[in-house]
Amino acid sequence: MSLIATGLDFLPEILLLAGALLVFLMDAVGIRRIEVVGSIAVGAILFAMLLVFADLGFAPVAFLATIPRSQIDIVPAVGSTPLYWFTSLGLFFQVFFLIAAFLVALASMSRPSRERGAAVFYGMILLATLGMMLVAVASDLIFLLIAIEVVSIPSYLLVAYTRRDARSMEAAMKFFIVGALSTVLSFFGASFLYGAYGTTNLFVLASGSAISNGAFGGGGFPLLVVIGYCLLIAGLAFKITLVPFHAWAVDVYDGAPDDVSAFLAGGTKKIGLFAFFLVFLGPVLLVRGTVEFQWFGGIGAVALGPVLQVVLSILAVVTMTVGNVLALMQKSMKRMLAYSSISQAGYMFIGIAIGTAPALTGASLQVFAHVFMKTGAFLVVAAAAGLGVGPLIADWRGMGQRHPWLSVAFALMLLSLAGVPLTIGFLSKFVLFSAAIEAQGYFVWLAVAGLLNSALSVFYYGRVLKVMYFDAPERGPVIPTSTEASVPSPGAPNGRGAVSAIGLGAGGIGYARATTIALIAIVIVALGVYPGPLLQPLAAAAQHFVNLAF
Amino acid sequence: MSVPLISITLASLAVGTVATFLAGRYARWVALGTSLLFLLEIGLMFWGYSWPGLLNGIPQFAFYESHAWISIGWLNINYTVGVDGISLVMILLTGILQIATVIYTWNERNRPGAWFGLVLLTCLGCFGVFVALDILFFFLFWEAVLVPMFFIIGYWGGPNRRYAAIKFFVYTHVASIVMLVGLLALAFYSHAASLDFAAVYAAEPALTGVVPAFLFLALFFGFGVKFPIVPFHTWLPDAHVEAPTGGSVLLAGLLLKLGAYGLIRWGVEVIPNGFHTDTPLLLIIAFISIIWGSVLSLSQRDLKRMVAYSSINHMGIVLLAIALNSELGLVAALFLMFAHGIVSALLFMTAGSTHDIYGTRDIPSLGGTASATPRLATAIMIGSLASLGLPALISFPAEFTALLATWQAITYWVLIPLIVLVVTAGFYIWMMQRVLFGPPKGIPNPVHDLPTLEVIAMGILLAFTVLFGVLPNLLVHWIVMSPVGVWPL
Repeated sequence: MSLIATGLDFLPEILLLAGALLVFLMDAVGIRRIEVVGSIAVGAILFAMLLVFADLGFAPVAFLATIPRSQIDIVPAVGSTPLYWFTSLGLFFQVFFLIAAFLVALASMSRPSRERGAAVFYGMILLATLGMMLVAVASDLIFLLIAIEVVSIPSYLLVAYTRRDARSMEAAMKFFIVGALSTVLSFFGASFLYGAYGTTNLFVLASGSAISNGAFGGGGFPLLVVIGYCLLIAGLAFKITLVPFHAWAVDVYDGAPDDVSAFLAGGTKKIGLFAFFLVFLGPVLLVRGTVEFQWFGGIGAVALGPVLQVVLSILAVVTMTVGNVLALMQKSMKRMLAYSSISQAGYMFIGIAIGTAPALTGASLQVFAHVFMKTGAFLVVAAAAGLGVGPLIADWRGMGQRHPWLSVAFALMLLSLAGVPLTIGFLSKFVLFSAAIEAQGYFVWLAVAGLLNSALSVFYYGRVLKVMYFDAPERGPVIPTSTEASVPSPGAPNGRGAVSAIGLGAGGIGYARATTIALIAIVIVALGVYPGPLLQPLAAAAQHFVNLAF
Repeated sequence: MSVPLISITLASLAVGTVATFLAGRYARWVALGTSLLFLLEIGLMFWGYSWPGLLNGIPQFAFYESHAWISIGWLNINYTVGVDGISLVMILLTGILQIATVIYTWNERNRPGAWFGLVLLTCLGCFGVFVALDILFFFLFWEAVLVPMFFIIGYWGGPNRRYAAIKFFVYTHVASIVMLVGLLALAFYSHAASLDFAAVYAAEPALTGVVPAFLFLALFFGFGVKFPIVPFHTWLPDAHVEAPTGGSVLLAGLLLKLGAYGLIRWGVEVIPNGFHTDTPLLLIIAFISIIWGSVLSLSQRDLKRMVAYSSINHMGIVLLAIALNSELGLVAALFLMFAHGIVSALLFMTAGSTHDIYGTRDIPSLGGTASATPRLATAIMIGSLASLGLPALISFPAEFTALLATWQAITYWVLIPLIVLVVTAGFYIWMMQRVLFGPPKGIPNPVHDLPTLEVIAMGILLAFTVLFGVLPNLLVHWIVMSPVGVWPL
């Protein structure tokens, strides 16, 4: 007995969609309590996650598999141009996305029971997650870009769902305008590639066959393709917040409700990375020295792959450096986390620039680690805001004494972000930088740049630790130190006082949120100490992906 | 050996460290207990030690343990530990300095839990470096030394501690990064089966061309900053002067040895080809360090700064002895590392006590202290005499062997360290003449001589100074039960 017989390859996605529709339906009939709505969302996400685990071959739930093993990690037949394909790496990314959604959905259940907009919040989370799941299985450029749109539109709404908060509205507007621009750039780039190759299928785009068919004579390719790839890089780089396409991210993460920031930084941002895997891994790997670049009729001859690699490498190094340097200068906690998120994207991008299976393993592991670390960090910030802590780093003085458990969890997340041993963050960076050295050549310098940046990042994470544990707490009641703090909580329009007035358990941050944060802290350490169960299948999946992909 | 003695020791140190952090008022007792247990475990290691020798040309280790941690095809990491004679001697030094530091700083009042915890953590890291036989774990322990020392300098240090702590951190951390990249490149460029010492050692001959020379250079830079070699030595005087006495003791006694140990273990043993190519550079830097450390030492007014610069000079001799690439040279280098660990720790303790008693370490403003504080004066005197290489004290056999090895390897170049040794002797004797003897100067009234606990701490170090000075074979016996004993490999 198994679910394969149903033929519903997309059962997890259908579940999410059904969950979202149910949430909206209940909103229409007036059932809006956050506990009920949240439970539906968490349930849908968890069940979808089980199904994906089953598809990955996770033995205890294998009977729930919906995709036959014979369809996973298979090269499509020559000549076929499928819209989607199932790879174990893609399924892994689905799990990562579901985890991010799960953490945010669970933690948000601690918000005031009668808060307005719960249905919108959970519905949009489910829809965005659905889009992320589709990104992970795309094998056609248009399918991919539309899936990204399925993520983006709910994201805009998520940032703005509180409606009454001017700062979130401003953030949503910025997010929307920049997002729309990036969409336009991506589609424009795709149209150039379509013009050059007559298809948007990623396999055909990636393989040299379309070129050696003589479409352009002499085995070269025109400027058209270069422009197409440049526009695609720019469009996707907005999503993954690569410098210089990063400026929106900080304002949006800062202005959005805290839980939404957690979802954006921990979850939706990663689709850009997987999109880069899909679009650029083929060219980077395959076109290494085989196809020549005809500059206005064959004046210069440059292979596309190495050039792409140099461009992507530079983007990676610039991103991590700029992110770190700017994070160093921030006074606001959320802005600091936002810039650190940008720098982390730079580390992940090393994996794409190199494009080997080890590098892909490292980048994927970094994504996994980042899901936990960054989602967790923003959730802690949200919890602290509920406890009356201001938005500045300086407002966290004495947290170590006032809220020891929350501080320990936050310290673990920061240490993991900084790459301190025995955390998942260390492991992911170590694997990533090892992969860079393993690739040899000038990639060794990517490892050096990454390591130096890690050293730099220790200072701003360490500063927060110092503020939390070593600086004397303020005397008397905590007074908001900036005007921003007096703005009503974006997440709770009733005012933050409501949270503590209701008297939610677990030290005032709510049981659901406390559980989520504890779970994240445990995973960060557990997988940092004993990574084998995750790392081995992930490495195998990355190897499959590189082998069969292009 | 079926008993995982090294893992037990690591665990006991880790538990002791955590317990010390949490113990609050009782931290010193927990620290003392941990140190005594550590000494007991070191004793067991010496008692049960027998070097397995070479197997298929690869050096083997006693108390060897290896457990897979990550194995994903291209990246295989094992938790691998083991000791040979080289590490055993360095572990002994760690144990001695740990207990001496704990006793010396027994009355630390400023957050004693954190202080003793950080001291133990530093020693845990050093022990780890000396036993780790895997690139990742070696690096982990290497960094685990850096962090507590950063806090020791930055929190308990002198007036300029922030600058000194950050300079120390930046210098040594950048060096660690280069070292890590070098080690990983060594493993990946040679396609080693895992990041284990044995695997890397076996794979190294696959490297050809200029690669080994570059890799050795990267390791030399990474380890050299810890030595420290000129011109990357400037963190050392700042760190030493600002560090609290206990911090200086660990810094000079243990941390400087990590660089030399790492260079021998991962550089000289593993990349002989690169080592041979780079030998001229090593010799030049060794000579410069010897001369420059000595000259700078001569021109210092601050007692602590003088000892700090003399460390550069001594570690220069260690580098020279390593660069000779002979059995005698390596024995001399290791003996000298041990000797310098003991003697410089002693001298930093006396410098700290001088400051406690007289309120200054300024050499010209002190005088006639021998009659005012005879115990302290005795310690300064024996420490200085040991440092300048008086026979029957620990440095003499070490330096004599080093000079002998230098003569055997590069003949008349031995004149450089020889002449510098005279200068070294000169500045110690001049210092003693000014501080200990002469007309009384800068002596407070009433004056208290060394407290008992500090006498005990210095007494431990003095005992080893004399013991190994008279019976150097006690130490050499263990050093040669290692690849050094069958050099060249």
